[in-house]
Amino acid sequence: MRTSTTRSLWGGGISGAIVAHELSRAGKRVLILEAGTGGDRTLSGYQEYLTRFYETAAKDNQSPYPPNANAPMPRSGEARKITPGVPETNGYLVQTGPFSSDTTYTRVLGGTTMHWEAKVLRMLPEDFELRKKFGQGEDWPLTYKDLESYYEFAEREIGVSADIDDQEYCGLKFPKGYVFPMRKLPLSYLDQQVGKGIDGTKVKLFGEEIELKVRTFPQGRNGIPNPDYVGPDGEKGFVPVGAVNTTQVELGGRCQGNNNCVPLCPVQAKYNSNKTLAKALQTGRVDLLAQSVATKVQTDANGRVTHIEYKTYRDPSSIEYTTNIARGKIYVLGANAIENPRLMLASGLPSTSGLVGRNLMDHAYMLSWALMPEVCGTMRGTNCTGGICDLRGGAFRSQQAAFSVDIHNDGWGWAKGSPYSDLDQLIDGENLFGRALRRKLADRITRQLLLAFMIEVLPNQSNRVSVDPAYKDQMGNMRPIISYNIPDYTMRGAAYARQFARLIFQRLGAADFTQYDPADYGYVTYEGQGYIIRGGNHLAGTHIMGTSRSNSVVNTDQRSWDHENLYLVGGGSLPSIATANVTLTIAALCYKSAKAMLAQLQ
Amino acid sequence: MSPPKITTIEQLQEYLRIAMQIEHATIPPYLLALYSIHPGTNSVATQALRVVVVEEMLHLTLAANLLNAVGGKPDLTAPDFVPLYPAFLPNGEKDFEVDLQPFSAAAIDTFLKIERPGRAPSEDKRMIHRPPMMMMATAAAGVRRGTRIRTMPRAMPRTMNATALAAGSGDSDLDYYSIGEFYDEIGRGLKYLHEQEKDKLFSGAAERQAGPEYYYSGGAGLFEVTNLQSALDAVHVIIEQGEGFDRGVYNDAGEIAHYFRFKELTFGQHYQNGDTPDRPTGEKFAIDWNAVYPFKKNARLTDYAGSSELRAAAVAFNRSYADFLAVLTAAYNGEPELLLEKAVPQMFVLRNKTLQLIHNPIPGMEGVNAAPTFEIDEAGSAVAA
Repeated sequence: MRTSTTRSLWGGGISGAIVAHELSRAGKRVLILEAGTGGDRTLSGYQEYLTRFYETAAKDNQSPYPPNANAPMPRSGEARKITPGVPETNGYLVQTGPFSSDTTYTRVLGGTTMHWEAKVLRMLPEDFELRKKFGQGEDWPLTYKDLESYYEFAEREIGVSADIDDQEYCGLKFPKGYVFPMRKLPLSYLDQQVGKGIDGTKVKLFGEEIELKVRTFPQGRNGIPNPDYVGPDGEKGFVPVGAVNTTQVELGGRCQGNNNCVPLCPVQAKYNSNKTLAKALQTGRVDLLAQSVATKVQTDANGRVTHIEYKTYRDPSSIEYTTNIARGKIYVLGANAIENPRLMLASGLPSTSGLVGRNLMDHAYMLSWALMPEVCGTMRGTNCTGGICDLRGGAFRSQQAAFSVDIHNDGWGWAKGSPYSDLDQLIDGENLFGRALRRKLADRITRQLLLAFMIEVLPNQSNRVSVDPAYKDQMGNMRPIISYNIPDYTMRGAAYARQFARLIFQRLGAADFTQYDPADYGYVTYEGQGYIIRGGNHLAGTHIMGTSRSNSVVNTDQRSWDHENLYLVGGGSLPSIATANVTLTIAALCYKSAKAMLAQLQ
Repeated sequence: MSPPKITTIEQLQEYLRIAMQIEHATIPPYLLALYSIHPGTNSVATQALRVVVVEEMLHLTLAANLLNAVGGKPDLTAPDFVPLYPAFLPNGEKDFEVDLQPFSAAAIDTFLKIERPGRAPSEDKRMIHRPPMMMMATAAAGVRRGTRIRTMPRAMPRTMNATALAAGSGDSDLDYYSIGEFYDEIGRGLKYLHEQEKDKLFSGAAERQAGPEYYYSGGAGLFEVTNLQSALDAVHVIIEQGEGFDRGVYNDAGEIAHYFRFKELTFGQHYQNGDTPDRPTGEKFAIDWNAVYPFKKNARLTDYAGSSELRAAAVAFNRSYADFLAVLTAAYNGEPELLLEKAVPQMFVLRNKTLQLIHNPIPGMEGVNAAPTFEIDEAGSAVAA
């Protein structure tokens, strides 16, 4: 049993790491409870993940991360078509549908930043005012301006490679003179070929004309430091952060384009939050308790948290554990938007707004794939270097969802299992071997183009996380139950996205191979057409931020309205996800929250 | 303090050319030892070797910046820039050869000698008199007399004036006690010449410098050399990252010097802050000396007479290596962007070609695999015959 730290924090992902670093830097003591085994802080622990990834046949999001019955996580391949009225319990997530999501998150130290793709888009200024501007979704209790300086902290911490020139669109503006810590990663050859075909193309949407351009994405991976960079503390220049280890190691200097960013960068050029955690641990004021699953948040009659109960297991397969209590002055739940509300609900805590677990959001991904007329070097570069962002914003949002389009450098992998499936098909289906096989394989794979449409989803109270004692994990913790439907607003965006993909393919002279199989678990029909929607691993909304205890769970500092010494940090606080991958905004909010926590501790 | 041995810009340029040779000559042995380790094993040794070899590349580039700064022209395609291994690398009173060999205790032992910390016991020991017999041995080992520093190219570069290096003392049989001492002499020369020439010493064009965007790692970075301070800083980084100057395990930047990274491998234990060189107290680790591809020590093309495929692969490697040196030469002569655009992709190609060789046995030699030979002929191209 451990007691009396300044703060107790659950979750060793990016939110936990940033908060721990900020508070420990300011002299506060922090205890982190981490459900995973925690071996990931060493290079050898990281190498074990890599070896596991290399040796596994199915290279999915979670393939490097071994099963852990005491800290289970959703895994690819677990999603099933849901029979109405029959909860699907195949995976860790219990799903009642109607939509069956294959969304995942990673319960290891570093959280989902271990497997993330590290695209770090800022939200648009209009994304904070969707209700006011478009009559849709919810307005934030914050504006873009309020968050702008925190974005700069987040961009320094993650180490963002991007050029301003490519990032000013749809109302996004940066202060005069601001540059990103590192220069942009260049567009891949495939991006350039797509750009050649479509740059300058105009599409008309509800009377609004929008011009398209392939542009680079901001990346959370090491590139060339920008000599003009001035950080938020006025410091000049930027030194990229390499691999994490307990002893000195110089690895991870720069992205090598290995193209397995997801699920794990082999050289740690991609940011993962253990880079931040390592700095926090170096202060000597942070204790990390691994293999410790928070099981209950206990409060007193006034709603103040008195302690967090946690269970420390002996090893991932063992059913043995000890139950302990952690006390602190303030408490922070820093897990993702499914695990945070799960713990709150499992603790049986009443909520004034009734919104804990509700408004679950996750980007709806729709894929379209085609073969380019000539070899485009697909499979080179990081997973994704460029895309089309011009439909992230616009007046059309009063009618349908916005989206951002990724050009995937890893071919049809996501949709069809390429390149492995191509090999199977050419050997078994076309009886090719030797030189003919090699030629055909190279020709086919290097012409693959996959567009991934990341479509916005608005908060909807019936999309939710709940718990039920009928569904527990090995340790006896209630599993999350997901009830989720893709809203029509999003599906209108999806239907348009499909048309949009056809237009792009036409312009490029690419042969459209897209097919949506009605037997697929992600199959959704809308206005008579079928589509396949995939989970985005961009979870949000379940402890939504707002202006009062009646309309939200947390305030603009991510502090619980009902529990004055409790903060719920992470994606769960976001009132909209719009068309930005959520991590950068989560990180920015954590800097704001850390400031509030320090003020509260004074 | 004895008078500086470098008293002319020409001498300084010669020293810097040799500095580039020294830095380069350490790279093949480190790289091959690194690549000989079975993937996924010996992670500490892998990291140590990787860090060291990457920093030798930094030193090579810093030396090129220094040479450019004082009006010289780096040329990695010069005859004999690449040593023929085993290269005889005299160091202090114990001469030793550097082999191209798999990761092993013997290899680490050699690496420790290469990176040996540097102050000579006394001023008069900074340069070592080599007995005439040793010079004979050098010639017999296929390494002709001429370079008196630790890296011994198989023949004296034609561009090098035999008296240039020794002009200060008039003694051509001198050797430096360590790389550190050698660079220290460069530092003294820089200061001396700067007093004479002032800023005219740094006559090289700024656009010939490779700047920070082309390299980074922990500890130190690449920077442009444009004046006395940056020149001395470059010398300092090279000394510090390599062997240190008897300042203990960690250098100014808090980085562990190469010598101590190799010491950790002999102890099977990491250093931590506060440790003395002879007693690391950090995390322990195991080394699996058997998880190594057993390639032939100092392989030559003639070893592959029995296999046309190995021979072709080895020749292809040498060609790629010669091409690579030509790209580096262009990069160090006003086109630094080539480092990123061409040299980095070429390094991946070289790695793949190396792995191809060291994963394959030599027919007729039980349990011995092939390896790159680094045979580059006098015209700076691959030896094909």
